[in-house]
Amino acid sequence: MIKYIVKRIANYVVMLFIAVSLTYFLASAFMDPRSNYMSRHPHPPIASINRSLTLANINDQTPVIIRYGRWLKNIVTRWDWGLSPDQSPVGPAIAARIGASVQLVTLATVLGVVFGVSIGVYTAIRQYKWQDRALNTVATFFLVIPTAVLGLLVVLLAISFNKSTGSRIFYVTGLHSYTGSNPFLWFLDFAQHLILPTIVLTIPGMVSYHLTQRTYLLDTMNADYVRTARAKGLPLNVAIRRHALRTSLIPTAVDVAFSIASVFTGAVITETVFAINGVGSYFVQAISQNDINGSVAVTAFGGVCTLTGALLADIFSAWLDPRIRLS
Amino acid sequence: MTNQKETQEKKPVLRVRDLHVSFASEAGVVRAVRGVNFDLYRGKTLGIVGESGSGKSVTSMAIMGLLDKNASVKGSVRYRGEELLDKDDLAMSKIRGKGIAMVFQDPLSALTPVFSIGDQIKEALTIHNPGMSAEQIHDRSIELMNLVGIPEPEKRLTAFPHQFSGGMRQRVMIAMAIANDPDVIIADEPTTALDVTIQAQILEVLKKAQRETGAAVIFITHDLGVIAGMADDIIVMYAGRPVEYADVDSIFAHPAMPYTMGLLGAVPRSDRGSDKRLVPIPGSPVNLADLPQGCPFAPRCPMATDACRHEEPELKPISGLEGQLAACLRADEIASKGLTFHDVYQVDDRTPSKFAHIPRSQRRKVLELKDVCKTFPVTSGGFFRRNVGKVHAVDGVSFDVCEGETVALVGESGSGKSTTLTQVMNFTEPESGSITVLGTTLSKKHMSREKRRELRAQVQYVFQDPMSSLDPRLPIYDVLAEPLKAQHKSREEIRQRIGELMRLVELNPDQVDRFPTQFSGGQRQRIAIARALAVNPKLVLLDEPVSALDVSIQAGVINLLEDLQNKLGVAYLFVAHNLSVVRHISSRIAVMYLGRLVEVGDTDDVFDHPLHPYTKALMSAVPVPDPQRERSRQRVVLQGELPSATETFAGCPFVGRCPLMPTLTKEQQARCMGERPSMRVSNEASRGDGHTVACHFA
Repeated sequence: MIKYIVKRIANYVVMLFIAVSLTYFLASAFMDPRSNYMSRHPHPPIASINRSLTLANINDQTPVIIRYGRWLKNIVTRWDWGLSPDQSPVGPAIAARIGASVQLVTLATVLGVVFGVSIGVYTAIRQYKWQDRALNTVATFFLVIPTAVLGLLVVLLAISFNKSTGSRIFYVTGLHSYTGSNPFLWFLDFAQHLILPTIVLTIPGMVSYHLTQRTYLLDTMNADYVRTARAKGLPLNVAIRRHALRTSLIPTAVDVAFSIASVFTGAVITETVFAINGVGSYFVQAISQNDINGSVAVTAFGGVCTLTGALLADIFSAWLDPRIRLS
Repeated sequence: MTNQKETQEKKPVLRVRDLHVSFASEAGVVRAVRGVNFDLYRGKTLGIVGESGSGKSVTSMAIMGLLDKNASVKGSVRYRGEELLDKDDLAMSKIRGKGIAMVFQDPLSALTPVFSIGDQIKEALTIHNPGMSAEQIHDRSIELMNLVGIPEPEKRLTAFPHQFSGGMRQRVMIAMAIANDPDVIIADEPTTALDVTIQAQILEVLKKAQRETGAAVIFITHDLGVIAGMADDIIVMYAGRPVEYADVDSIFAHPAMPYTMGLLGAVPRSDRGSDKRLVPIPGSPVNLADLPQGCPFAPRCPMATDACRHEEPELKPISGLEGQLAACLRADEIASKGLTFHDVYQVDDRTPSKFAHIPRSQRRKVLELKDVCKTFPVTSGGFFRRNVGKVHAVDGVSFDVCEGETVALVGESGSGKSTTLTQVMNFTEPESGSITVLGTTLSKKHMSREKRRELRAQVQYVFQDPMSSLDPRLPIYDVLAEPLKAQHKSREEIRQRIGELMRLVELNPDQVDRFPTQFSGGQRQRIAIARALAVNPKLVLLDEPVSALDVSIQAGVINLLEDLQNKLGVAYLFVAHNLSVVRHISSRIAVMYLGRLVEVGDTDDVFDHPLHPYTKALMSAVPVPDPQRERSRQRVVLQGELPSATETFAGCPFVGRCPLMPTLTKEQQARCMGERPSMRVSNEASRGDGHTVACHFA
């Protein structure tokens, strides 16, 4: 098993390197940081533009392969991911954003998976009964609501709730506002900020896991081996829990693991609605500001998330399924 | 023998009375089982025979309480006096696996893939005996695995189902079924998915399991050959009802219900030559959602009278035949006159063959394979795939097919017979060796497009599953027109030819605008045959053409294939695992083992005097629908299973399983292991033309 994981990691490192390098060349070819300066009226002197661009190692007059060499050397030797066109370092900016994103996304992902899978199992066992029909209707309803609408809806409800109670129970912007040193109050404040975006992020994940897990379990529930288990003397529910559930979790595990990257970079709308500076909004900013180094760094982070997810998926499915483990 | 045990044996362990099962479906209420009655005694085997849709499996599932929730079950099933139909799932789960156990059809999907064999056997034990210690469980598991003949049980406990072959998995299923010494074992088509040699092993294991546990067995099958050797009593079912009930000898000796007679007449036999034509039962099986009035078999029955179409007959004793019951108004008449199926069914004469009087050596060769090989690479590694070995799927196969004859390729699954067929279908040069079609050797370079298309038209195919090989969205007209269009025929020619074809395969030409789903399985296979014959090929490749069909339908398709061959002089290359069908239809047979040919010869010759030890074992494993013969027969039961395809053999690949090996001297054995046996003409001079065998000592 260890050997298997090490082999996988080695594969992934190679893949990540190729992907990030390709992104660097693509970003360098398509993004034009010079235009940031040229579009000003009057534009700064060309020599000073060139100097700024060279400082940030994004001057299009330097051959791209040389820029790539410098960029790579700085990362390898100093873990320096370069500068934005406005000369601010990319690395620390992203690190701060990742911190905010992790706070925002982790709980929502965990809740989404736990509730989604549980409801999926619950409804699959009660296929076509009223519980199943009711929950499916609710899930389909939330599935078709865009995140922005859902976010605003939650904000409106929270504000009217705040108004009716006359106190600020829910905060609708940012992640923190408490500045004191009492850890309990800090946590309470954090929770008050976190609860609304978490709801908005949890619901779409939850309903999609609910619907897919329901399908996966229904597929395996009618499998021959579940019938065998019942013929051995297991009551229906036990047979499903022991024999069908485990195999049906494998595809869900893979889905969850691969979604890690997209929950980090894909939470843009929620971040915007709640004014949270996360990785998602940074990525959008970086692209719109022709920030080559910033975009590549976000891609690298996304790549690491995806491959970590893939590795987790591999490990998890190998743990659940001996056929993978043994071959 | 104690007194108590004796009284137990007189009382039935399972008593089924007036069992009815129906399902709600879109087409209306499907009445799957309509009044089944029987008593089951310990140590006895009850066979339930019927075609698909006859209600035999639904009956067993109803007894187990494993039917879907939309099934409505009425009547009474009493196990040791307890009514089972009133019990809920929880109460039934106390009886399932302990009192009544079950073995299912498909061992490949019946075991949970993510649990080890040991865990699954353990579960069967602990669910009914929660107090068992780990040591007791382990010992009992080993004991059970020994009983069902799983080698190295200690090692195999931690293995997972995918590491087991189908036969081994079925042994595990049986081990789990007998784990708690059940009173009743229900075996639902337990060997249908298995090769004939493995089937023989599993049947032995089942008999042994029954001896050890003294259980009553309900054996459900469509295969009359299997049931002849297994059952004490037989129920024949049709359209959800038992239509005949008797002990096994009576059923086979003097069936009294025309359907039973038809079934027996429709089955080809591996122990007889093909001089007699099969008796197809006309028509197709009934629609259970829309049963006709009166006897459901009446529309297909040659003896049906008006009375049969008005009143559904009860299952009742036949006068003059003690212990035999039939649900037929004319059963008494049949019994008193001693009618057999030859009297009841019209058997039309076979069309004489175009090539009947031309000896084989003077006929043209339509297909010739010489030393054809096909290997598949075995890859490993993650990022960079690399080849770690080769599977020799087809390994130096040579044979030929002459005009107007049928050559059958037979062997266990994995023997390479289908791959050989694919090599011909690919229509290019094989990896090594050569394929010659009508005198033209297939090659990549030296064949013009025109030539290739011409030659292609001479070779056509019929596949196993007529449902999936016909495009469900094309009407039959278009299905049949496709090969003709490929040959650039005019619209008028196509229209005429399609009419001809429909008549040729005995279908109504007015139905060409229907879609494949509107036809029954047998009719669909006829359409597939018509499509193959559309462009007047010289050779048709048939891959298991009748194995997806019910016995009564199968006979009709086999007869059709025979007639078409005799009429048109087309040659067949036939791949089948059912050796009885092969014996009936083929004139020559080529036996394959692990990608190599081991014996080739005239069919009757190979069946009656097999030379290669593998062929002998294969032939003796085929069950025959004759209870007396089955009981007295000595089987060559092969030990072990087909070795892994990645193994390479310097000598004969059969050495590991060969029953001849132990009788040989050390030097002879060394020769078998080290030297590859080549195909040679048999030593015995009396053999028919071209009987060759690949064995040093046969």
